Amino acid sequence: MRKAIKIGLSLFATTALWTSGALGAGGPKPAAEPKAKTIKELVARYDSSGCIECHEEINDQWANSLHSHSILGTPRTAPTIITAIEVGLKNFPYSGVKDDKDITVEHLRMCTKCHLPQLDDATDDVAREIVATIKGWQKAKKDGDDAKAEELEATIASLNINCRICHNRMAIIHKWADGYPQPDTVYGDKDGDHEDEKFPKMAKAPALGESIFCGQCHGTGPNFELAHPSQCATLYGSYLFAYTAEGGHESCQDCHMKKSGLGHDMQSYNSEVMAKMSMDVEVDGRSLFWRKNSAEGVIPMGIINVELTNKAGHTIPDG
Amino acid sequence: MGRGPYEKSGLLRETSLPPLKTVHETFEIPYPYTDVVKDGKKTRELVNDELVVNVKLWYVPFGEFEGHEVVFFEDEKKLDLKTEWVWR
Repeated sequence: MRKAIKIGLSLFATTALWTSGALGAGGPKPAAEPKAKTIKELVARYDSSGCIECHEEINDQWANSLHSHSILGTPRTAPTIITAIEVGLKNFPYSGVKDDKDITVEHLRMCTKCHLPQLDDATDDVAREIVATIKGWQKAKKDGDDAKAEELEATIASLNINCRICHNRMAIIHKWADGYPQPDTVYGDKDGDHEDEKFPKMAKAPALGESIFCGQCHGTGPNFELAHPSQCATLYGSYLFAYTAEGGHESCQDCHMKKSGLGHDMQSYNSEVMAKMSMDVEVDGRSLFWRKNSAEGVIPMGIINVELTNKAGHTIPDG
Repeated sequence: MGRGPYEKSGLLRETSLPPLKTVHETFEIPYPYTDVVKDGKKTRELVNDELVVNVKLWYVPFGEFEGHEVVFFEDEKKLDLKTEWVWR
């Protein structure tokens, strides 16, 4: 019995050591910067244009993805945010929103938690400015004012999930173990120096190449941490409970970045490559005379059998 | 999913395709026929003994055909009913 306990303790010690060895290169929680007061300030704070000189190909890939215009969307996301405000928030008795001037960052979080997580670093004025910009864009389009619509669309598109969001702000998930992302460090799969004035250091983020990293936004369903949880993306939930449970072992990055060859142009249904990778479809057909019943008699019938096999790591569709 | 993120509280029905599973769908397509009377006897006649079936798998992200739909798969099957079988 004593021997068994000793073995148990020794295994525990090994596990603890391994966990300790997995710590990333985060650090203490950085002092909070003053909140951005305008869209322009927020965009400037998360400006990733400095990355382009050395990472042009990656930037071009990213620019083709929805991450590069995560608030504008296809462009259905921006109008849906307005619908959520007009039909949802303004009609909820306890939301505190009766007018656009009542909107705060917290109110938009049901959308921006994923579509613009950096909005947490902005004042409520920025939340209201975003809403006003989207409404202005919708009106300009309706009025046929193309120049104005284009200008406002560019502003909306400047609010996005760029290098700074994934490779810094959201890079480290377990901050108590791995540390908080540091303001001078770009996170990826390498440690060392980084030729950039603002980000002179590189460090490994332990989960950046794992599905859980994407799961921060492409999540597990309702966002219960919010005052008004919303049934949102269930992709990571599906990955965990339907895909890995069936023996699946590839990561989001394996399929969407590596096997697809798309790199940072992360795509889903709009990409022919992803569509082909995701499904196997077999179609078989035959004909017969079907004696249906006494009233309708014999019916000449074509039968088409379709077999659909979802090879993706999640349900289709999902988000 | 349904009508908008602000009023969704949970999945009530799951109709998506599950990962690593094969889903079977069967479609029954009657050949066109007419009921006729020949020599005082009711019978049926095929209008056409061939069917060309176009099978398309659509991804309809917003639940309707409004421009964002994508064809994931497309195939054509030719079926025929060229038998000597006589309707009784």
